[in-house]
Amino acid sequence: MNSDSIPAPGSDLSAYLFLVNRFSQVRLKKEGEKILLVLPKEEKNEPIADWSKVWEELKYRLNNSERYWQDGSQVHLIAKNRLLDSRQLQIIAEALDGANLKLKWVCTSRRQTAVAAAAAGYSIEQESPNDSLADLSSKESDNSQQEPLYLRSTLRSGMEVRHPGTVVLLGDLNPGAIAIASGDIIVLGCLRGIAHAGASGNRESTIVALRMEPTQLRIADILARAPEKPPTQFEAEVAYIASEGIAIAKAVNFTKTHSFSPKIGGWIDVENELK
Amino acid sequence: MSRIIVITSGKGGVGKTTITANLGVSLAQLGRKVALVDADFGLRNLDLLLGLENRVVYTAAEVIAGECPIEKALVKDKRQRGLVLLPAAQNRNKDAFKPEQMKELVSKLAQNYDYVLIDSPAGIEMGFRNAISAATEALIVSTPEIASVRDADRVVGLLEAEKIQKIRLIVNRLRPEMVQLEKMLSVEDILDLLVVPLIGVIPDDERVIVSTNRGEPLVLDERRPSLPAIAFKNLSRRLEGEEEVPFLDLLAAHDNLLTRIRRLFQS
Repeated sequence: MNSDSIPAPGSDLSAYLFLVNRFSQVRLKKEGEKILLVLPKEEKNEPIADWSKVWEELKYRLNNSERYWQDGSQVHLIAKNRLLDSRQLQIIAEALDGANLKLKWVCTSRRQTAVAAAAAGYSIEQESPNDSLADLSSKESDNSQQEPLYLRSTLRSGMEVRHPGTVVLLGDLNPGAIAIASGDIIVLGCLRGIAHAGASGNRESTIVALRMEPTQLRIADILARAPEKPPTQFEAEVAYIASEGIAIAKAVNFTKTHSFSPKIGGWIDVENELK
Repeated sequence: MSRIIVITSGKGGVGKTTITANLGVSLAQLGRKVALVDADFGLRNLDLLLGLENRVVYTAAEVIAGECPIEKALVKDKRQRGLVLLPAAQNRNKDAFKPEQMKELVSKLAQNYDYVLIDSPAGIEMGFRNAISAATEALIVSTPEIASVRDADRVVGLLEAEKIQKIRLIVNRLRPEMVQLEKMLSVEDILDLLVVPLIGVIPDDERVIVSTNRGEPLVLDERRPSLPAIAFKNLSRRLEGEEEVPFLDLLAAHDNLLTRIRRLFQS
């Protein structure tokens, strides 16, 4: 691995922090008996292209997430400041139906969305825009990691998964696809695209793949390209931050042979150190 | 129950239209009723490849606009019984139609034909969305080049999101002698990345270009059988559900002493 720090600190990195922190992807989450479907906040500068993106993400998550819910579970749609018309609400409800989920509640800070939801017969929880924003951001920006996201599919070219926590992918990560996580990234398959672990700055994060052939690896603010000559043999490997950039080791014994040192902000090979 | 199959690739110039034309003819040769739909609005080509350009009167655009019944727009192929073409409009652009209109059009065709093959435009914009909207099956065309494989991967992702479950791969324009020397991606390399079942491998052959320019699909030429024509016929038999159609051993012809020695020196 050739690794170099991202040249202008702050510029690139902060962009990624922003990506993960604004939770700009659709999320499904279990809370007690009910399922929360959290839509990303509507961005002021990209309102319309936004919906098709949200829709694509929702379909992907419903099709490929682990089905941890019981059939017929009730769904609370957290629409935030997103404007949804009755047609869009209907599409969402149908998609949920396909996964044996029932849309029951709509929680929104927009009056028009609330009206549309009421007309369609859903229970409404309307928050005033200001306090919902304060409330949501305080809840979400405490940067605590979310539960891991488990996906069972191949991430194909053009797809992008962002998750404020660890991502486990049972399938390949193909070239042209990217996974960004604030925790670890574990690919139970072939990693050929781009993986960015610890994207909110956690240098302890690692990237594990059964077959490591990445286009690029990023951990926290460090970036590494794949070597020019691909290796001839593959085995499960782990990428981590060492003192001189991103390094790769066999995954089997990694936790036994390496330990993280907060002082240098990287992992140390304990065995070699002792010798 | 008729089958509605879209032929698509993402990247342009990989042979979608050529494959649609040849596949249509060879399915018709197997006694099926086949309708070919050119969904590349604004840049129609399929009529050229079939040599039917001078017989096009109405196009899909007039049918969608309700200006003529669909039967009137269909162009019958005189050389091959059971094959008809619904030409694309030349003068409108790809965004002039909606997926719903395409669906309606295709479902009308499906009532009378065993196969409806839809030739998709390149790209993943509205024209592509229209083309896949009505389909229940998809054939992905990829050449052994990384850009083509990458785009095919993207398209497979989009098709999966649309819940098109039956997706199969055609590798087009393979040059066995180059694969042998490891100068070209092999079929296995492509499959390793795409993980889509393979349904056909078409070797590269200049006769394909000749036949295209003449407006005579290669499979129509019964007197001088060519390797690609055999590959097309095998492909259509596999599509029909014949499990045991073996793939042509394209590499065998090139595995002579010379290439072996060359390979020895290269490694």
